[in-house]
Amino acid sequence: MKIFPENVSVYGDDIDFLFWLITIVAGLATLIVLFLVIYPVLTRKKHKAKENIYVKGEGFKQLKWIYLAIFVMAVADFSFLIIESDGWIKTQETLPEKDFHVAIVGKQWLWEIIYPGPDGKLYTSDDVKKFNTMIVPQDAVIHMDLTAYDVLHSVFIPHARFKFDCLPGRKITRWVEFTKSGEYPMVCAEMCGVGHSRMVGKVVVLPQEKFEKELAKIYKK
Amino acid sequence: MTMSTTHENKGFWHRFFFSLDHKDIGLQYLITTMFIAFFAGIFAMVFRIHLAFPDYHIPLFGIIDAKEYNILVTNHGLIMVLWLSMGILLATAGNYLIPTMLGTDDMAFPKLNKLSYWFFLLSVIILIISFFLPQKGFGGGWTLYPPLSVGDFGYNTPYKTFSDRFFSSNTFVLLAIALEFVALLMGGINFMVTLFNKRAKGMGLLQVPLLVWMIVIASILFMFSVGPLVAGTFMLLLDINAGTGFYDASRGGDPLLWEHLFWFFGHPEVYVILLPGLGILAEVITTNARKTLFGYKFILVLVLIATVLSLMVWAHHQFVAGVDPRAATVFGILTIIISLPFAGVILSFLATLWKSNLRLTLPMKWAMSAIVLFTILGGFTGLHLGAALFDMYAHDTSFVVAHFHYTLIPVVIFAGMAGFYHWFNKFSGRELNQFLGNLHFWLTFIFFNGFGIPLFLLGLAGQPRRYAGYDHIPYLSEGYLPLLREIATISAVILVLSQFIFIFNFIWSVYKGKKVTSNNPWQSTTLEWQTSSPPPHGNFEVYPVVYHGPYEYNRPGVDKDFLPQNQKI
Repeated sequence: MKIFPENVSVYGDDIDFLFWLITIVAGLATLIVLFLVIYPVLTRKKHKAKENIYVKGEGFKQLKWIYLAIFVMAVADFSFLIIESDGWIKTQETLPEKDFHVAIVGKQWLWEIIYPGPDGKLYTSDDVKKFNTMIVPQDAVIHMDLTAYDVLHSVFIPHARFKFDCLPGRKITRWVEFTKSGEYPMVCAEMCGVGHSRMVGKVVVLPQEKFEKELAKIYKK
Repeated sequence: MTMSTTHENKGFWHRFFFSLDHKDIGLQYLITTMFIAFFAGIFAMVFRIHLAFPDYHIPLFGIIDAKEYNILVTNHGLIMVLWLSMGILLATAGNYLIPTMLGTDDMAFPKLNKLSYWFFLLSVIILIISFFLPQKGFGGGWTLYPPLSVGDFGYNTPYKTFSDRFFSSNTFVLLAIALEFVALLMGGINFMVTLFNKRAKGMGLLQVPLLVWMIVIASILFMFSVGPLVAGTFMLLLDINAGTGFYDASRGGDPLLWEHLFWFFGHPEVYVILLPGLGILAEVITTNARKTLFGYKFILVLVLIATVLSLMVWAHHQFVAGVDPRAATVFGILTIIISLPFAGVILSFLATLWKSNLRLTLPMKWAMSAIVLFTILGGFTGLHLGAALFDMYAHDTSFVVAHFHYTLIPVVIFAGMAGFYHWFNKFSGRELNQFLGNLHFWLTFIFFNGFGIPLFLLGLAGQPRRYAGYDHIPYLSEGYLPLLREIATISAVILVLSQFIFIFNFIWSVYKGKKVTSNNPWQSTTLEWQTSSPPPHGNFEVYPVVYHGPYEYNRPGVDKDFLPQNQKI
């Protein structure tokens, strides 16, 4: 039984690792919480009324265990933050040199894919528009310009662990690199009206040579 | 302190419409919110059935289409978050319990209190009207993100005439939300003034039961956070009705502006709901553990820290929505930090349970499961989502849906029910049927998890939320995923249906339940238990004088295992 869809992007492993790391640490904390709840229930009859400790929980001495727990949790929390920051900077704050550039425009209810055309530059007169199917080369950094015509949309490619919103009036560039060729779903993850659940496209990842042939076919038409 | 004896005459209309007595107003809130939440529960049942069994002909609803699906999901969210959660935990608990716990006759401003309920009722009526307008209800998502919420959210065709625009579900839903905020602001002012000015003689600010503090802090937080959203709502109403372009990028506006204004309120809102829930847990846990609350001042300080922090974390709802990724880092850090004070509060509750001879009563079962579910599956999954990198994957998937159901349901339903079962005999003067109560608890506990855990797994498999069906998407209809959806659906249906046991038990016990033999059946220390059940008009025959803090259980040198606040040693 696999939890995540197969990972096919260069940064997918970072994301899966982060999930399992937090899950394992939280799992240990879960055991402690369960013990602290279940043990008093199991031993409740052993403590007679008068044996109860009248502790108000004031001052450092009484609170020391809680301070320690908060400290341990803070250390764990900040480790998560430090570990994730590399991945976050890599995926969001930096744009590696591009191998291929494409624009994805959300509109009710399909994905418009704009290829740069024979001149290799986007937003020129020879751009080619296609719908719902995006072909991209394997093992190449792909820049995606994300925007929308009408309402908010969000590009979600689960196998690439990629998601980002498409906003009308903004052009936001994010990148992805596929490590394996194949067909992967590209769905909309932001409520966009009646056809939201039908806004399903796909990414076709092809090895470099095959990709160039397919791209040439698209440009010919 | 004067006792207002002029409103003793209680016919139906008097009691349920015109009464100025805070107890009546609390019950009015309770009944109104239960009425509207009943529909929100039915909505959840219907759209869950549609997801797992799309061909099933649902009684009264038939086979719903995508537009109806969106309307049901949207209104389920809106009602549960804005009307049920705040209606129960702030308005009902606050109105009924604050004056009784403070040992006073009524709220500081009874007429403002009455007005607040009328506004609340009006907001519910306007919300109901929104279902009978041409759009048959608002269906643009409970977060009301423009541009979708500006036009006809179904097909994004702009409205043509002014009357089309005004008499649309969009306008009415926004009006309902604005009126509800007005109602809760008036209630909140009342809670604050009552706490600071109407405490029983001798009651210091640090001898006030924690629940009262929590409701008042939540009201203050609500006041701080609601302003931007009211302004945002006003601009959205203008966008819909006057054709302005505050959120329209083609006319210089920005859809992201709404997201900021909405979540500036929307995230503190979670804590507005959480704090009264924690307050209820404090009361139920100390009473049943027979121990004084561990760290009363410590909890107050932690909660104040969390309250301030909660105003600075809103953009974690927008990690991948187009905010600057460097800003997202800051919000991520603050989000992770806010888990620390709440960890301290939960640990203080667990320390209260430690070495106690606790009584495993029905309210205690609800309270303990609230702590477990909230901490483990609500809190810890918050760490997953607070890590922005993982949020890129999990955002807007079922993982988020499961996460916020595990934060809200333990607080609203489990802690709310703990409070309800705890105080039922106080406000009705009768006892609830224990067998039905236990049945309700176990069914709710089992089937809530049966609904929530599959949703986590579906989210990890990459299932986006708010989809009116997944069967046409290959990667979501393979393997065990359809089975998980069926388990989640069947559990959700049983979860909703088992609430009818509670409604039946409630109504039956109010009329036919065994009369209480004691005013203080749980042997509790706070002041609401030191008067008759239900309390008379004016709450106390003799106004209490307070000598102790609120949780004096098993204090050394005292014969009994509890020492009421108004009893001298």
